[in-house]
Amino acid sequence: MNLEDARQAFIGEVAELLDSMEDALLTLEEDPQDSESLNEVFRAMHTIKGTSGVFGYAPVVEFTHAVETLMDQVRSGQRPLTKPLIATLFECRDHTARLVEVIEEQGPDGDEEVQFGEVLREAGESLLQRLGQSGATSPMASAERPADGAADKRLPVSSELWMITLEFGADAFRNGMDPLSFLRYLGSLGDLVHVSTLLRLDPSQEEGFDPESCYLCFGIAFRSDADKQTIAGVFEFADQDCEIRILEPESTHSRYMELLESVAEDEVGCIGELLVQVGALTRRELERALQIQETETSACSMTSCSNLRRRLGEILVEQGSVKSAVVEQAAKTQETVRARRQDESRFIRVDAQRLGHLIDLVGELVTSSAAIRVMVNRAGIDDATEVVDGVDYLVSEIRDSALQLRMVPIEECLSRFRRVVRDASQELGKQIDLVITGGETELDKTVIERLTDPLTHLIRNAVDHGIETPDVRAGRGKPASGTIHINAFHDSGHIVVEIADDGAGLDPARIRAKAEARGLVKPDDSLREDEVLRLIFAPGLSTKEEATNLSGRGVGMDVVRSNIEALRGSVELDSSPGVGTKVTIILPLTLAIIEGFLVGAGEDRFVIPLSQVAECVEMEAADALHRRGRHYINLRGEVLPFIRLAEIFESGGTREAGRRESLVVVRFGHHKMGLVVDSLLGELQTVIKPLGILFERLRGVAGATILGTGDIALILDVAELAAVDQGARSPSGSARATR
Amino acid sequence: MGELVLSGKGMGDRRSDAGQDSAEEVCQYLTFSVGEERLAMSITAVKEIIETPQITRVPMTPEYIRGVINLRGSVVPVVDLGARLGRGVLTLTRRSCIVLVEVRSGSGDGHVLGMLVDEVKNILDISREDIKPPPEFGSEIRTDFIEAMGRVEDVFVIILSMDHVLSIQELAALRRISEEAASSGLDVDP
Repeated sequence: MNLEDARQAFIGEVAELLDSMEDALLTLEEDPQDSESLNEVFRAMHTIKGTSGVFGYAPVVEFTHAVETLMDQVRSGQRPLTKPLIATLFECRDHTARLVEVIEEQGPDGDEEVQFGEVLREAGESLLQRLGQSGATSPMASAERPADGAADKRLPVSSELWMITLEFGADAFRNGMDPLSFLRYLGSLGDLVHVSTLLRLDPSQEEGFDPESCYLCFGIAFRSDADKQTIAGVFEFADQDCEIRILEPESTHSRYMELLESVAEDEVGCIGELLVQVGALTRRELERALQIQETETSACSMTSCSNLRRRLGEILVEQGSVKSAVVEQAAKTQETVRARRQDESRFIRVDAQRLGHLIDLVGELVTSSAAIRVMVNRAGIDDATEVVDGVDYLVSEIRDSALQLRMVPIEECLSRFRRVVRDASQELGKQIDLVITGGETELDKTVIERLTDPLTHLIRNAVDHGIETPDVRAGRGKPASGTIHINAFHDSGHIVVEIADDGAGLDPARIRAKAEARGLVKPDDSLREDEVLRLIFAPGLSTKEEATNLSGRGVGMDVVRSNIEALRGSVELDSSPGVGTKVTIILPLTLAIIEGFLVGAGEDRFVIPLSQVAECVEMEAADALHRRGRHYINLRGEVLPFIRLAEIFESGGTREAGRRESLVVVRFGHHKMGLVVDSLLGELQTVIKPLGILFERLRGVAGATILGTGDIALILDVAELAAVDQGARSPSGSARATR
Repeated sequence: MGELVLSGKGMGDRRSDAGQDSAEEVCQYLTFSVGEERLAMSITAVKEIIETPQITRVPMTPEYIRGVINLRGSVVPVVDLGARLGRGVLTLTRRSCIVLVEVRSGSGDGHVLGMLVDEVKNILDISREDIKPPPEFGSEIRTDFIEAMGRVEDVFVIILSMDHVLSIQELAALRRISEEAASSGLDVDP
């Protein structure tokens, strides 16, 4: 992995972490006690700090470190998690995102020295100040206080300092030790903040004072960036003659905790190894503890593994080598590792391009296998039919599995709206609850990516125009806080996303007035209410009197519609004044390959997406009606509009009187429509090929596909076809047709 | 049909012929016929020439958009040069060919378009001094479609400007006009 790849991975990772931090903060806003989310925020900051450190992005490290420290205090209960604090944390998250954006923008060429600029630096500082104000570093919780070393207590206890106690053995001088040389060496690794010297003199000592013996103890407060192993290395020489206890600073302590949480599974072995691995324990300390354990074990003849483990932890704490909290965390990591190992190995990160390539190949495979079928049928090789069937079956399985690879839960896209709603409602002084259901519904990744913008717009609309302010709501007898409900679900090969609010609803009269003012409709046009509502999808129409920060520049809904239509989807609108608005987006599952239904009309052949085909019936000419320029048919008592494909597409070919025709009933959204065709040619797997720039404006056709014979058939866009048909007749439609 | 396919060898031969007259600057032009008229285009834009496969009509498009073809798995639009030049839609014969041309759109992206012609003739070397500016009038073809006139043995051939004949912007823009015309026409219709 070269540096640029690593940098990209870094940026991606940070984005993910910030996302999960945001989610966690949103959860905390509702339930400040949620420890899982607390950990999440901590973890996000901590990991970003760590990775930024690797890349040498000092400002990011400094900033995230401060936030991390604060989160640690919150986690240990030293600081209450108040609403303002959460709000500041949101800003901290955004600030981190901005810092990383700067890194991203500067690209791979901007050496290691990334320029963050004054403004950002000041913003960061003021944020940190606000974090600091609400509670200075408080003393360690008593539970985490070292349980040993009287000397420690006399030292300035600070979270940034290493606490080292040295107890020289009586024979230290006789063995030629010079205690001061150790201190001098230690001083070369960092800053000796405080050294207190104690004498281990006990008046009850029997042998009396021996001037050649050493009674010295040192308590040292030490500031250094060195790790525990290095510091212990200083005293390696004195090991035989000296009791050494090294306690890591509070911040390092929390780093151990983090490291323990994030140790790669396959590296988790015994608890001792684990502690050595993260640096909380030196190997020598471990060996000594193991020795003690061994003697004790043989004495008590306790062999049970779990007992053994706990005892090792106890011994280590007793020795003062590590803090109990660290040992507990280590034990926890060890225990949860197996579960996590199973969980995480289920996922593999794959380059999206590789997936795209695979899906392209599968598309070619589908076409080729259709070609083989045509060949075999033409050659009349009966023996081969079975094989071809088998291949067909496998190809369709492969196609489904390949497409499945790109499916991701829509949750990923929806959950970011919690933030959008939160920010927007605060800005506007509204109380809004966002309810998301069906987040597990899966959708093609590319569809999701292109869905975010229109969805953001719709939700901002709901917040801005839909939900009223609390006092207005109270006046209307509604609960003070409004609800926006996003619901996603599968419906016959499509994904439906509903955005419903219980706000003011749309006012048809105002829309109409606006549309007339813009010249979109004539005053004497008679429109049904749903046709009036659809006018908001026309360009340049916004009913909000003044544009706000959030929405309302009149470029909104038509962009939403064209975005959705570009995904071969459709938008529907349902609103009643005073009750609320519901926007329904209907999307195809995928953009690449669909099941199609081939029909013939005149001299042309068309593919209708099979998911939209409700049924096929024989056309009974006697049941057809002609009203106001539209064709209707009586289908088992139901009035169904229909289009003659050959007619609307001027497909040529002469229709013999009395020739049999078929009616394909298609469904789009809540609508049904009949398509009259000359022949039904059966189902097929369809690889959608774009028609290209020349046909961008062609309506009613979604793309083309290559049939097994090598010929091309056009894929119909049923919803657009209906619009084209209606557009010929209704004014609201004409507004759409000339988009 | 074999003689219609541009083989690399054939082109090479012609190039070496041209090489003998290196004193003059020589450009190569593909000539083809639409109806009775012989037309030419610079060979640099030509990607390949194919026999006419099954052309799939695309509904609701102007008549000069003949349809789309399957070119080794991709869908390529075909422009009917007869209709484009205002000579009426061409009738497919045994000699009909599609010249595949790469054109650039406004945004600079390359697009492959097919151009349906009645017959592909041959490749001509025309020296620069035999290339004359287009006449300002007197031609039945839109003047901007004509890049120049090339003199071949005392006969002038029209050299088409592919940038204009197959201008993506114009093809798309014309589409819009026809669409608007269609929709306004339908609006009037009750």
